[in-house]
Amino acid sequence: MKKTALIIGLTLVFLALIDLSVHAVLRHAEASGRLGSLVAFFEYGRSVPGKLARWQDNPTLRGNLFDVSWRSAILDESVSKFADGSADNSPTIRSYGMSFVNNIIKRAVEKRPGLISDSHAGPGAPPNFTYALFQDDRQNRRPGDIVVLGILSSSVPAMAALSNRTWVFEQPAPFTYPVYWPEGEGLRRVEPLINSADAQRALSDNPTLQAAWRDQLASEDLFHAYSTFGGRALDASPFLRLVRRSVGTSHVAKTEAEILAGTHYPYDTVLRRMVSEFARTAREEDQIPIVMLIQSRDPRDADILAITRPVLEAENIAYLATAEHFDPRDASGFLPDGHYRPRVDDLFADRFLDLIP
Amino acid sequence: MLFTEPKFWAFFAVVSLAYVILPHRVQNRMLLVASYVFYGAWDWRFLSLIMLSTVVDYLIGLRMHSTVQETRRRWLLFVSLAVNLGMLAVFKYLGFFVNSFQNMLAGFGYVADPFTLSIILPVGISFYTFQTLSYTIDIYRRELKPVRDFLDFALFVAFFPQLVAGPIERARNLLPNITAPRVLSWESAGRGVVLCLIGLIKKVVIADGLAPSVDAIYASPGPTRLDVIFATWLFAIQIYCDFSGYTDIARGVAKMLGFRLMRNFAQPYFAADPQEFWRRWHISLSTWLRDYLYISLGGNRGGHWKTYRNLMATMTLGGLWHGAAWNFVAWGLYQGGLLAFHRAFVGPHRRVGEGARRSALGWVLRIVAIVLFFQVVSYGWLLFRASSFGQIVDFTRRIFYGPPGLTIPEPPFPALVGLGFLLIWDLCIELSGNVKFYASWHPIIRAGLYAGMIYLLAFGATTQTSAFIYFQF
Repeated sequence: MKKTALIIGLTLVFLALIDLSVHAVLRHAEASGRLGSLVAFFEYGRSVPGKLARWQDNPTLRGNLFDVSWRSAILDESVSKFADGSADNSPTIRSYGMSFVNNIIKRAVEKRPGLISDSHAGPGAPPNFTYALFQDDRQNRRPGDIVVLGILSSSVPAMAALSNRTWVFEQPAPFTYPVYWPEGEGLRRVEPLINSADAQRALSDNPTLQAAWRDQLASEDLFHAYSTFGGRALDASPFLRLVRRSVGTSHVAKTEAEILAGTHYPYDTVLRRMVSEFARTAREEDQIPIVMLIQSRDPRDADILAITRPVLEAENIAYLATAEHFDPRDASGFLPDGHYRPRVDDLFADRFLDLIP
Repeated sequence: MLFTEPKFWAFFAVVSLAYVILPHRVQNRMLLVASYVFYGAWDWRFLSLIMLSTVVDYLIGLRMHSTVQETRRRWLLFVSLAVNLGMLAVFKYLGFFVNSFQNMLAGFGYVADPFTLSIILPVGISFYTFQTLSYTIDIYRRELKPVRDFLDFALFVAFFPQLVAGPIERARNLLPNITAPRVLSWESAGRGVVLCLIGLIKKVVIADGLAPSVDAIYASPGPTRLDVIFATWLFAIQIYCDFSGYTDIARGVAKMLGFRLMRNFAQPYFAADPQEFWRRWHISLSTWLRDYLYISLGGNRGGHWKTYRNLMATMTLGGLWHGAAWNFVAWGLYQGGLLAFHRAFVGPHRRVGEGARRSALGWVLRIVAIVLFFQVVSYGWLLFRASSFGQIVDFTRRIFYGPPGLTIPEPPFPALVGLGFLLIWDLCIELSGNVKFYASWHPIIRAGLYAGMIYLLAFGATTQTSAFIYFQF
């Protein structure tokens, strides 16, 4: 017993020593700008409020996503771009999507130089983000424009989230978006209390709003959890950050699986209604709606073509479903970061050009 | 309730606390209840199958022991075989054979009734039926006396650490652990913790880390030659870490409770030939097949051809034990063929690189043989992992004529670090011939090792965990 107690005690001492050494190495590496990916690896497990505070305090930090893709900023930019281009009445491709959609449209524009594009995107943006942008950007479109709504299969579970911060645990970009729920024949939009980077920055000065925002995340966002948001004091230890990373990613994966299993949130109904409403609105304004269905490589993703096909066919909505042109199980078509390779984007761009006049 | 889930460890903490304060008889009753709770967490409906198997084999064991007449004893054994193998046949193989029959008829132009059997496979059924069968067969062979206490026997069948994926324990090993009071010691508990740690590193850091790369290639419609080769190697590592990781945790958990479960893996990829491999891989199954099937078929007593036939039959059935699919049959045939080939051309008792420890050339020969035999074993895992017979043919063709390039998703860095650690760990066991090679080290060095292992586990436990591969068998 005495020897065992000694070994347990020594093990804990060694664990603390290793942790302190790792902490020192990471601090040194960060200060000297070395071992960037290793430093980032150990940062992944920091609590979400911890990451946001770090980004807020250090704007030049590598991988800082604090100011990325806030809808208010995108819409402000859209207004000014629209005003700048008001002299040119050429039809424009106005897309609401994410990097996958941007890549395809970029290739399409390169192939047909006369095309003009105006892209609005967020990293891994879920359909509720892209659809909300489409709704809010209404005044910045003209009749004759081609309007593209991007839907990314891997982001479908996040339709039950108010922000990337709750479901992209490792890189929780704080930008927000509404959650849509079926209501009657349409959709009810639940708006987040925080809608801009400035509002997020000012949150620490307003404890009432901070508490209300926390309550909203806890009640309206299915991904919000104590394991990812609580216990900020534990962030000091690299070891505990590693443990939290495991717990946090497992929580997100479990919630995604539950949502895709049909419990908690009717993502398929909402998705079909979004597509239908998107096409109806665009047509009412004499625009050409195109739905871009991006099936990413994870076989556990929702089959977004199968979900939306009934609406697309019944309402004769033009669409580009990547799965119809390239098998997402074919690993050769993907870059290590999960995006499609340029040659595959080329293929999609050709098919996209077939859809537009 | 997976070994990798926090809820299992919460469950085990409660069981352990109750265990240390209870007397021996009550410990056994409590462990039985805990085992049924553990199994019921998967699917409580299938508890009835475990109980049926328990009642039948308990009664048959007692009756067989008190019966002198051989014919009657043989009938009792037949009933035990019929009940246990019958359960396996219905729940595991019926759907497979019906579908295969339908396909065969379709091949001749007949369309059979298009009904499909959808029978849920009870988790662990192959493991506990084989375990109870060994009990009745041993009594039939008069190698074992039956246990009198029904609840002790029920615990032997359902003991939770090894219930769903083995090791397939023999009654003569596990029952004495159950019937006699167990000695709990800090030292033994400490060894249990180390086993759990190494098992978790194997499963969570390595196997779960490599799984997405392997899955991507096996789901891909057009992998390259290098993709198939790398995916085959990685799957060989994944399945070893997944299954032996489970066994390590099972043995560690049992050890903390004072039980001694048999070793199921002995560094199998250091084998240089098929016979040696099967002495190192899934030892509880390979010895079961040897003792109850191969020897029952006549073993090597009927001349060369009968020996080869028995080897092929044993390994084919061993393949089918893993699952009701033709690729498992192909894997079994492949392993049987390797054993027969080795026996015919090398001899049953000769080792490749024999005397390796005596000369430098011996070492070189042995290492070359190990590396070459790893390729042979890995190809076997391709048969095992393939989702259809068509994929086996396609992937085999791609190994030789596949397009160039490498598109397999890169395994995560922690998985590679874990793999390096495991290689050193297994080398230490292999070279020292001692699974507890670290036990004699100075406490400070041991503590450093344990702290490093805990840190490595946290470092790598960031991938999404999945169920153990062998749970499906």
